[in-house]
Amino acid sequence: MDELILNLKREIIEVLNLEEVKPEEIADDAPLFGEGLGLDSIDALELIVLMEKNYGIKLTDPAQGRELFKSIRVLADYIRENRKK
Amino acid sequence: MQGGIFVTGAGILSAIGKNKQETLGALRERRTGIGPLRYLNTSHTEFPVGEVQWSNEEMCRILQIPDTAVTTRTSLMGLIAAREALDQAALPDKRAPRVALISGTTVGGMDKSEQYYLDFLENDTRNAYIAAHDCGACTEMIADYFGIFSTVETLSTACSSAANAILLGAMLLREGRVDAAVVGGCECITKFHLNGFNTLMILDREPCKPFDACRAGLNLGEGAAYLVLETAASARRRGVTPLCRLSGAANTSDAFHQTASSPDGEGAYQSMAGALAAAGLAPEEIDYINAHGTGTVNNDLSEGIAIQRVFGPRIPPVSSTKAFTGHTTSAAGGVEAVISILALRENFIPANLRFSNPIQELAFTPATGDEAVGTLRHVLSNSFGFGGNNTSLLFSKIE
Amino acid sequence: MQKDIYIRAACQISAQPPLSEEWLDAPVRYSEPYVRAMDPDYKRYLEPNVARRLGKLLKRAVLTARRVMEASGVACPDAIITGTGLGCIENTGVFLNALVREGEELLKPTSFMQSTHNTISSLIAIDARCHGYNSTYAHKGISFECALLDGYLQLKAGEASTVLVGAHDEMTPEYFVLLKRAGYLGGAPGGFGGETAVSMMLGRQRAGSLCRLRGVEIAYRPSADEAGRILNGLLQASRCSLDAVDAVMIGTNGHPRNDAVYAEMCPVLFPGKPLLRYKHLFGESYTAPGLGVYAAATVLHRQRIPGHLFVHAPGEAPRNIHNILFYNQFEGKNHSFILLSSCGE
Repeated sequence: MDELILNLKREIIEVLNLEEVKPEEIADDAPLFGEGLGLDSIDALELIVLMEKNYGIKLTDPAQGRELFKSIRVLADYIRENRKK
Repeated sequence: MQGGIFVTGAGILSAIGKNKQETLGALRERRTGIGPLRYLNTSHTEFPVGEVQWSNEEMCRILQIPDTAVTTRTSLMGLIAAREALDQAALPDKRAPRVALISGTTVGGMDKSEQYYLDFLENDTRNAYIAAHDCGACTEMIADYFGIFSTVETLSTACSSAANAILLGAMLLREGRVDAAVVGGCECITKFHLNGFNTLMILDREPCKPFDACRAGLNLGEGAAYLVLETAASARRRGVTPLCRLSGAANTSDAFHQTASSPDGEGAYQSMAGALAAAGLAPEEIDYINAHGTGTVNNDLSEGIAIQRVFGPRIPPVSSTKAFTGHTTSAAGGVEAVISILALRENFIPANLRFSNPIQELAFTPATGDEAVGTLRHVLSNSFGFGGNNTSLLFSKIE
Repeated sequence: MQKDIYIRAACQISAQPPLSEEWLDAPVRYSEPYVRAMDPDYKRYLEPNVARRLGKLLKRAVLTARRVMEASGVACPDAIITGTGLGCIENTGVFLNALVREGEELLKPTSFMQSTHNTISSLIAIDARCHGYNSTYAHKGISFECALLDGYLQLKAGEASTVLVGAHDEMTPEYFVLLKRAGYLGGAPGGFGGETAVSMMLGRQRAGSLCRLRGVEIAYRPSADEAGRILNGLLQASRCSLDAVDAVMIGTNGHPRNDAVYAEMCPVLFPGKPLLRYKHLFGESYTAPGLGVYAAATVLHRQRIPGHLFVHAPGEAPRNIHNILFYNQFEGKNHSFILLSSCGE
């Protein structure tokens, strides 16, 4: 597994308390919200904090977050392009 | 059901005025209280707020409380508003010996806790403020200043706290538990909840635009407001002139999400419908709705849909006065109850400031304040809290 | 219409074995000053997607609420009312510590969202999908009684026929230190700072109920005379006399300042009555009275007062327990009286 993707999955599991979920159970292209992991708007806000804390990416519009959190792969690609940490 | 409950006093303190008279003037002249931060010590100066234009020291002086006394900004504001309400209702009065104080707050003494928290943990220098931290302490500071209350309770249902205090006061009166009840709430802006709302990304960096398609969040406000409630019989016996009647009220739960309102506004629908039912009024009898209208994308749409569900094609003038005061959180139910009563008595519709673009999903636009209204007879006020704590209050002219 | 009001069911998580009445016969004794609740294995009871974001206090609240709803056969109570002195103080502490230590950036929304007091009642409503009346009282040591009074009045006024009332407070290590500094805890050996999670269902159905709830009174800074008048008013309204009260349950906890008030008030208010205690089991917290009322209701239901509940060793324990008066005071300022009777009364 891509190292960034693996790290990202671990970080998401930790910050969202997804105790029952293992990194390999999250498909790279599966939607994180609604169907997939069943995350909600508060999780999106937690992920926005995670983006800033771990990768130095500051999002000011929650709508932008919704685009990026479509799947782990979309998120990882965005981080690769824009990370400051 | 609440037929016999009269409002015989009201007091208010917010960014637009330090009493009812100043508040009325600002509403009439469309002077907003939203502006740059002045009193709160925070790094988030990018957010406009609705602050009460008094320092704590100034409030202490007005109340003749020594600077050295243990006070919190929330309780000082509460004292000023409660005093105005008590004065108007001519309380204390031997003919109404059992008076309740029921106050709503959530942050309580957080303004001091966030300042002294490391001292709390490490040394004994600020112990008096540990005891002043909780919500009940804030209410008791108000109670002990006046020394006239036989029942003292604190409600904490986030942004509907003060509205629920009003609801409880009516219940205690109907059940004959007290002779009069001072009901409402108080809340100062703290770093704690300014930052909290910021983490939820619902603070507007510009003055807020409730019910506008381009709304981008809320501005925090602060303040306090109290009503004096008593039965019609008690008001008559004491010879006080009632301001209006609390004709109905309802508390419901949206039961949807910890911070978001449901898309169909179910809780809001039920609280408005419940208040109408309690008052025995039909939707078309309502002359004005003072909406919760925070200015967040989620609230205004959800509340707007709920209003449409209750009122159908005949929606009375609706405005959110949070564009004047900011969102005074736990005090909002009290602040907006007093504003609703001012509108009812003076027969005018407070403007929904800064509106320009209709929300596409809604069939109505908020009041401009220029509506030709005759006599207002019944006014509805909404207050909704996090977690779906929804309360609607109905005030009616005494005829 | 049946006017009487009953406590239909109750469930606790505290320093005693959780979700059980083991404390009656096999109380766990503590000598340390600070004891956290014995948590059950929440994974057995709460779905992962419900539990994952919740702190301990919220898990306790949801679980005890579900249990009493199940036990009383009420899927959605007409009203949900919580008393909590400090609300979700663990989350409050997390957010506050981050704020004062690390500044106003990168704070976490979840801890803020779950720091407000009303999170408890609203979460229970979300969990059970109840759109009814929902409220929260946060008033120091009488937070629970304010909630119980509201629930009692809702039933009495006919606005509800089932009311879920809860008492919930957690005690973090940090807050234990703070409350000791404030002089509220840790005054003497014998008492401990504890945690409270108790839910109870009020309703009108007598069959299977724990006890009757005859009346609730609260008062602020009453004189001894006024307190006596309030107590007499409660007894009269319930057509009960002090003679018919079998025992009085009080909140002594080994803290000199607290116990002195009871020592002063009890001989005046209820001379010669057997006194019962509960804080030796559950410790002190703002809403500990919720556990006291639960203990009194359990005693009435089981018709047995275990010896360890008596403040003074009894000459002879009452054989039939008809009425228990519950009396709580907080720092001599807030006082409450609650009259409970066996279902047969």
